[in-house]
Amino acid sequence: MNFSERFSLNFIEKSRYKYLLDGITNTLLITIVAAAIGILLGFIIAVIRATHDRTGKLKLLDLICRLYLTVIRGTPTTVQLLIVYFVIFSSVSRPMLSAFIAFGLNSAAYVAEIVRSGIMSIDTGQMEAGRSLGLGYWQTMGYVIIPQAFKNVLPALTNEFIVLLKETSICIAISLRDLTYGTQLISSQTYDYMFPLLAGAAIYLVIVILLTFLFGKLERRLRQNER
Amino acid sequence: MSGKKEKQLGEVLIDVKGLCKDFGDNQVLRGITTQIRKGEVVAIIGPSGCGKSTFLRSLNLLEVPTGGQIFFEGVDITNKTVDVDKMRQKIGMVFQQFNLFPHLTVKKNIMLAPVKLKLMTKEQASRRADELLERVGLPDKAHAYPAMLSGGQKQRIAIARAMAMNPDVMLFDEPTSALDPEMVGEVLEIMKELAETGMTMVVVTHEMGFAREVATRAIFIDEGVIKEENAPEIFFSEQKDQRLKDFLSKVL
Repeated sequence: MNFSERFSLNFIEKSRYKYLLDGITNTLLITIVAAAIGILLGFIIAVIRATHDRTGKLKLLDLICRLYLTVIRGTPTTVQLLIVYFVIFSSVSRPMLSAFIAFGLNSAAYVAEIVRSGIMSIDTGQMEAGRSLGLGYWQTMGYVIIPQAFKNVLPALTNEFIVLLKETSICIAISLRDLTYGTQLISSQTYDYMFPLLAGAAIYLVIVILLTFLFGKLERRLRQNER
Repeated sequence: MSGKKEKQLGEVLIDVKGLCKDFGDNQVLRGITTQIRKGEVVAIIGPSGCGKSTFLRSLNLLEVPTGGQIFFEGVDITNKTVDVDKMRQKIGMVFQQFNLFPHLTVKKNIMLAPVKLKLMTKEQASRRADELLERVGLPDKAHAYPAMLSGGQKQRIAIARAMAMNPDVMLFDEPTSALDPEMVGEVLEIMKELAETGMTMVVVTHEMGFAREVATRAIFIDEGVIKEENAPEIFFSEQKDQRLKDFLSKVL
């Protein structure tokens, strides 16, 4: 079989490219929803932890957050995904929902520590300046500290979301038809591994390059005021 | 002598009674008692580590006192039930390191607090910012970011930002100590103009010229207590306290 015949067999015949298209859709959907959960929860945890670090307040919440971080960061993502799918949703088969939750909760832990490092890197004078103008602690956090922290940690966050995107490939463990699983479905019909897998790898690569480009653009925009 | 100094002093604005502050075993303030009246310009001087910055920062509770009382406009602000944020709206503060918000333009730095605290509409705050920028001589910097400004310009903007809240008193924590020598003058000039408008000011400073010329009273803090306080003309000519004599002989 020459190149075009193999290409046709793997992707054109019986519309097998649809396995990849559906896979891309699911992979992106999981990544986006998980990233949204990760950002939301991660920022909340980061602010709680940073507040405790700086002021000694919110002791109980900080303890809960630390426990959460320890458990999430201390266990493999695959195991977490399997637990959500087979244990928490044991009676119903909800692969997408399980993936949203497992990856979202997982990402939150890493986002939290990234954002916390960003908050802690902001000079204490910024908080003092905000407070001395009469702004409250949370107002100063929201209008003064977080915007600066976010800008500083954007490269690290980009990294986290790239990792997240690629890590969704373990969805194969719960038979969720993501991009990686799509390549395997094609292989199982055509007995060709090279073409589908290389195609899958190329698609991941393109998405990551796009993601990097977009975040880079955002970062440059946010950094305009430093010149 | 400026007309200001001859003016009758107003009512007591800040009343400090036996103020103490410890950092662990380190007793920084050991019972400071003084009153600051409306329209006064008080210069606080003293050797480094004497507690003068801690004293100033206690006045708006950036440092929480461990003993004593501070009354601001008759209210004991060391009382835990006091709304600290409300109180701080009336007390402007200018820092040694400027502490401008680097992610906001100059104008937005000035507008942030009045708008977010809903004391002014955006339009009102914008007008007030333009007015203040005019006053500190930097109307062309409205849309610049702090990183584009010189140290002196940053400090002038910081003064404008504090003024935007229409405070009853302004605290200055070594406002010219982080500046290159050639920029000290422009900041002191703005402060002098501010004093001439009748603003109550408390200034921690090493600028003896400013203390002598602009202040209505000079306070010498050493070892956590006020060792001497007097009108500048007396303060700088005849000192009773030996430590103050030594200090002035070194800095003058």
